[in-house]
Amino acid sequence: MSQPAHDAGHAADRKLSIHTPGHGSYLTYIRNFVGDLARQVGFPEEDIAKIEMSVDEACSNVVKHAYAPKKKWLWQHRHPEIRLDLQVQANQIIIEIHDHGQQFDFAAYRPDAIPERLKDMKTNGYGISIMREFMDEVTYSSSDATGNTLRLVKYLKKT
Amino acid sequence: MKDFRIEQETKGNIQIVRLTGSLDMYSFPRLETQLNTHLQQGHYAILLDCKDLDYIGSAGLGALIGFAKQAREKGGDVKLLNVPERIYKIIELLGFTKVLQVHTDESAALASFTAH
Repeated sequence: MSQPAHDAGHAADRKLSIHTPGHGSYLTYIRNFVGDLARQVGFPEEDIAKIEMSVDEACSNVVKHAYAPKKKWLWQHRHPEIRLDLQVQANQIIIEIHDHGQQFDFAAYRPDAIPERLKDMKTNGYGISIMREFMDEVTYSSSDATGNTLRLVKYLKKT
Repeated sequence: MKDFRIEQETKGNIQIVRLTGSLDMYSFPRLETQLNTHLQQGHYAILLDCKDLDYIGSAGLGALIGFAKQAREKGGDVKLLNVPERIYKIIELLGFTKVLQVHTDESAALASFTAH
């Protein structure tokens, strides 16, 4: 169903947040939530699929790595949780994924490019490369006060 | 939103695994168990029917490469069938279709296992 112009405008400059337990059983819910919002904003279906996959890869990493048992979490006393802050602006969607698990040296992590990994039939380590391939900005920050934040930005290209 | 489901069918010496729902890091271990069982039982020709698949993440794709590699070492393969267009575009963009065979017709897919 196409959006009337005033509804599309209503979707702009919006802020939404969702909190879920840091558990893999919530990944479908997160993907659908983010995908529905991107669809309302007017992203083409191919970009929506890219956004959904990038968010899924990011949240999967949080569940699998940041909240891995026996790792040193930033806030050890709290239950694992993922918070997504989504901001829709006229020409972009900004998705911030927060956790309080183990910190990650994101800038230093430079895995082989996807074609190289595929050539070697590697079975893992694709997630961050996919985010970097599919999103326009991917940045990571971490502090004891605010926890870990992965920020994904996708520009809405005018046709 | 469909629950993840796996259905199993055997045609000759080929195992057809029909998938429904989302294949992400949460649901993938169920398929992994099934595929490991097939390989342990000496079933190296495996066709994954993705017609009702909503999503596949890199954990699933990466693991499928691993299973395909194991099966190829024994003369078989793990191939994909009926991949929805939305998923196909993504895996093609990333290059996974260069290492995983994708078919659009079940008969042709089945025949491809014995064509070598």
